[in-house]
Amino acid sequence: MAVFTSLVYQNEFLADGNTDVNAIVRIECSEAGTAGQTGVGDVGEIIIVDTSASMSLVNMQAAKDAAMVAVDTIVDGTFFGVIAGNHRPYLAFPRVTSGPGLVRMDPNNRQLAKRAIAAFRADGGTAIGSWLLLARALFRSIPSLAGKHVILLTDGENHNESVPQLDNAIRQCLGEFQADCRGIGVQWQVAEIRKIAQALLGTVDAIPSPRELPGVFQELIARSMARGVPDAQLRMWVPQGAQTVFVRQVSPTVEDLTHRGSGVDALTTSYPTGAWGDESRDYHICVRLPARALGTEQLAARVQLATGTAILTQGLVKAKWSADPSLTAQISPEVAHYTGQTELASAIQEGLAARAQGDAVTATQKLGRAVQLAAETGNAEATARLGRVVEVTDAATGTVRLKKNIDKADEMALDTASTKTTRIRG
Amino acid sequence: MSFFKRYNPGVEWSDEGEVTLPIGSEPPLFEVYPSLCVSCLGEVGIDGYCVQCGQKAKSLRDHYEQSPTSWMAGVCDIGLIHVRNEDALALQGDEKRGVMVVCDGVTTSDNSDVASMAAARAAREVLWTTNPKGTGTPSSRAAVIEATLVRAVEAANQAVVGHTDPDSMSPAASTIAFAVIDAKMIACANLGDSRVYWLPDDGEPICASRDHSLAQDGIDAGAKRAEAEASSFAHTITKWLGRDAVDLDPYTNLIAIETPGWLIVCSDGLWNYVSEAVDFAQLVQTCLAEDSTPAGLATRLVNWANEQGGHDNITAACARIEVPDQLELPAEADPEAETEREIQSDNADSLVETDSFETTTPNE
Repeated sequence: MAVFTSLVYQNEFLADGNTDVNAIVRIECSEAGTAGQTGVGDVGEIIIVDTSASMSLVNMQAAKDAAMVAVDTIVDGTFFGVIAGNHRPYLAFPRVTSGPGLVRMDPNNRQLAKRAIAAFRADGGTAIGSWLLLARALFRSIPSLAGKHVILLTDGENHNESVPQLDNAIRQCLGEFQADCRGIGVQWQVAEIRKIAQALLGTVDAIPSPRELPGVFQELIARSMARGVPDAQLRMWVPQGAQTVFVRQVSPTVEDLTHRGSGVDALTTSYPTGAWGDESRDYHICVRLPARALGTEQLAARVQLATGTAILTQGLVKAKWSADPSLTAQISPEVAHYTGQTELASAIQEGLAARAQGDAVTATQKLGRAVQLAAETGNAEATARLGRVVEVTDAATGTVRLKKNIDKADEMALDTASTKTTRIRG
Repeated sequence: MSFFKRYNPGVEWSDEGEVTLPIGSEPPLFEVYPSLCVSCLGEVGIDGYCVQCGQKAKSLRDHYEQSPTSWMAGVCDIGLIHVRNEDALALQGDEKRGVMVVCDGVTTSDNSDVASMAAARAAREVLWTTNPKGTGTPSSRAAVIEATLVRAVEAANQAVVGHTDPDSMSPAASTIAFAVIDAKMIACANLGDSRVYWLPDDGEPICASRDHSLAQDGIDAGAKRAEAEASSFAHTITKWLGRDAVDLDPYTNLIAIETPGWLIVCSDGLWNYVSEAVDFAQLVQTCLAEDSTPAGLATRLVNWANEQGGHDNITAACARIEVPDQLELPAEADPEAETEREIQSDNADSLVETDSFETTTPNE
């Protein structure tokens, strides 16, 4: 049985007239167990491989190898299926056209699935929305599933669907399953794939070399199999008259949850967090309260992790108005750190977007700010990635020059990793 | 749901969520909240905050006052910064005799609020029920009183240990300071850094206790009090009650009452702002100018500490001691009162001990 604990980092003291309460709530899960074996329902795993004509021989072979490794890694008993995607989705395994669209993993099905994967060949276009909708239909054909996870690999733009078509498909899949998305090569659009991954509570990353693909797939499946808690929600209670300014996951990656809540009751909102393994995640919340008299103490938020109606842990975020500036002037180091990391993520994304549109002034300014924030918050990985895209004159002031010739892969690596955060030092 | 225990350990709630105290009873060991919010009449959650408006409900432990007799009163208050009142106050008294106990639970230890209250009451029980009758020789009487003080500290320690979770990694710890006023004599003792001040109307005010703290160690080594008490380690106590106590030997002090005066037992939430006995006496005089009753003095001392910032829980127990009428020779002057006191005690151990005291004072 999974154990959840929570810790709140905040400065609860507010100066007279101040109304905004910031806090970092760290939620940690241990003893999560193996997916599908914790008595709360079966789990389903679908592997989607891009088999469009743009897939080179090398990439296609790597994709096949990776899909086979993934099939090897899926725990026996898990419901699974393999989709080959081009301008249409094709259910490569199991070869069924009606009834249950997924089968339980066992040695025989593993061999059959691998044989189906070996027959993949590159042909046709790309319609990612249609792949997602097939995955949704397959998961829906197995009523006992509590956890549903997809790995999606693509190498190109979504040529055969309009933006509204893809958005519509994503909307239909919201809350239906989680999707970890990976791009190979430099022809795919980071923003497009990130949109899918963020909506479906998954991760996005660029695979720099086809050689790495099997290892990446193995790790993704292994992580998914270690998520013994198939679905949990972050619940937040705020007092009557208060306003939730934002709710963000800030570690391990920045994900804005603010507009993804659904009401539990008049004062409580539930935000999706997907499946949990043994891990810890940090959430940054900001609540605006009606101003109260000096000396008043009140609760600004109850932050809980819940599965269904069961509340597994609760953190209390408080507010206390004080006239003592030595108390109210301090900013919690955790809040300051993640505020910087969140700004870093948007500075990178906005800087790269401006650069792509030829707006060198905005790009230089945003990426300069990113360099400064990465240095200030000790995010060495972001500093290294930024250094491949800009010449850093002075990190402390954020003075940079855009590099003329950038390796496209470096730019994409910077973009996909922009939401990854570091934890506070010390 | 088990996780709530962290916020509100051990409280039993009825199905209706009602928690009520019998009239006249003392505050509970645990945090107990009223069931309705005073601000919006919403329900108070088990975490102590209103489920509607989020206002913190006042725990019955946050602020309470005691005045068992006209010449003695105390106030215990959460202060302005701490989220829980870990100080504890336990008083008892009649026309002739009084006991004042103050404990200060260590914030970083588990359930120290529960432990400090249990300790204060256990010590009071021993001190009140153990009344060395007769005069004996002054030296034998002093020995008996000293033994009682030590026994009160031991009882307090057992109470703390008894309220400590066996699995606790950070077992509850508490200071203790107390005074017994009886027959022209003040007997006081302390462990840790809660204090007793004796402020005679006619004579030099003194701090009658002695801190067990790194600050006091510094002073003993020659540092100036103000400097030693300002250091960052000043409040590290070197003796305390609790399962991991290293030394339960209290500092004890017996003072003959020769002039009327005020006796104050307090926690560091008060004396932090006014450590020197002379300054303390000055503050008391200022407060008395506004209200000369014990309850008025205790309230004003606590309010004053809150005005200084209220950085810690604050407890002040005050006794007005008059001579000679009030305290002269109670045992001989009023034997009936003594008998009554013995009957009050339902503690078999202490009755045995009381008997044994008489055998140690054969010269009566």
